Amino acid sequence: MQDLAAEDVELHRRLSAGDRDAFDELYTRYARFAYGLAYRLTTNTALAQDAVHDAFLALWRAPEAYDPSRGAFRTFLLALVHHRAVDTIRREERLRARGERAANLEPVASEDIADAVTERSYLGIRRGQVREALRILSPEQRQVLEMAYYEGRTQVQIAQELGIPLGTVKTRTFAALRKLRGALKETE
Amino acid sequence: MTDHEAIWELLAGYALRSLSGPDGAEADRLLAGHVPGCPECRDHLESFGLLASDLALAIQPLDPPDLLLARLHRDMEPDAGALRRFGAGWIAAAAAGLVALVVLGSLALSGGGTSATLAVADLQQAVAAAARPGARTNDLGAVDEVALPDRSGFYLWGEDVPQPSPGQVYRLWLLVGQDAYYVGQFVPDPSGVVAIQVEVRGAYDEVIITTEDATSAPEEPSGTAWSVSSTPATPAP
Repeated sequence: MQDLAAEDVELHRRLSAGDRDAFDELYTRYARFAYGLAYRLTTNTALAQDAVHDAFLALWRAPEAYDPSRGAFRTFLLALVHHRAVDTIRREERLRARGERAANLEPVASEDIADAVTERSYLGIRRGQVREALRILSPEQRQVLEMAYYEGRTQVQIAQELGIPLGTVKTRTFAALRKLRGALKETE
Repeated sequence: MTDHEAIWELLAGYALRSLSGPDGAEADRLLAGHVPGCPECRDHLESFGLLASDLALAIQPLDPPDLLLARLHRDMEPDAGALRRFGAGWIAAAAAGLVALVVLGSLALSGGGTSATLAVADLQQAVAAAARPGARTNDLGAVDEVALPDRSGFYLWGEDVPQPSPGQVYRLWLLVGQDAYYVGQFVPDPSGVVAIQVEVRGAYDEVIITTEDATSAPEEPSGTAWSVSSTPATPAP
């Protein structure tokens, strides 16, 4: 993991100096994850492409927005994609009713992890670890986490849709992240 | 629950981008005040942020279209900013008069001293206008609203605009005070291009685009809101 993170920082340094090859290398590393995430959120190919496009273009135009001292590059980039995709679906709620179902919409924890563990890259291995960790959450915790992160719902919307108090949504979200943090710490 | 646990609950929601209203405002206040000086809260914020990116990894990765990287390379050019939604191929097609945007039943309605018309844009003029100094671009999601300082109205531009469901169209409305006025309806051309010129005389507050049944009477915005501008091109006085 440290090797990958260090490589990312070096690639970012080169990108900041205008090196397009470094940009392409970072794109090659993360575009599949970024596009998978954006498509999961928007369920629309054009909007997913826009979210990924805008995130990578923002990286190119303002590379100084990423500060290596504040965390891993992938955290920064995937947060950028997530924010852009969430902003898009909140602006265009109609997409939820359009009927175009994303191919990767199955509940994350129920997906077959076999393909993940066969991926040899660090990111592939990490992906398997995260999906394993999601299995330790209670169904209620997993539900609020998936609605918030993978569907872009606000906590207020989640409370309304599930018919539970807002405080319960907050508690379950916090408990879910704390449990995930503990589980993933053991794998590092 | 301790005060700190209440803060960490908020930070958890913040990391997932799921806060809104008072909780969002409270998180902003904490992030500007308490969190930077509190090692425990900083640790929680950082670890929750990392977890959020880990959650992104859990998604089934998907190969983006090959053209996406090419589109990025094009837009990475230094002078690509003003034309980011206009592909070179599309501009060439426009120059050759090949782009056929379908505009259904352009109308001119007026209300409250404001009147507006909607028409297919003159593509070459519009592309040149978007690149002019002083042109203001307002991101409406799938399309851009481009306003020029020396003319009333605006252009709507977009590539890869999703086609509405069969039997449906996009409808453009102008909001003046509490009232919405219908301007016209449109669908993207088969390649997803939208290029519309909207002439406006008078003031309006917002631009609204809805998705509606093509056979319904456009009396008031009744379909699902597709996009609402937050910064009007021609602010009401």
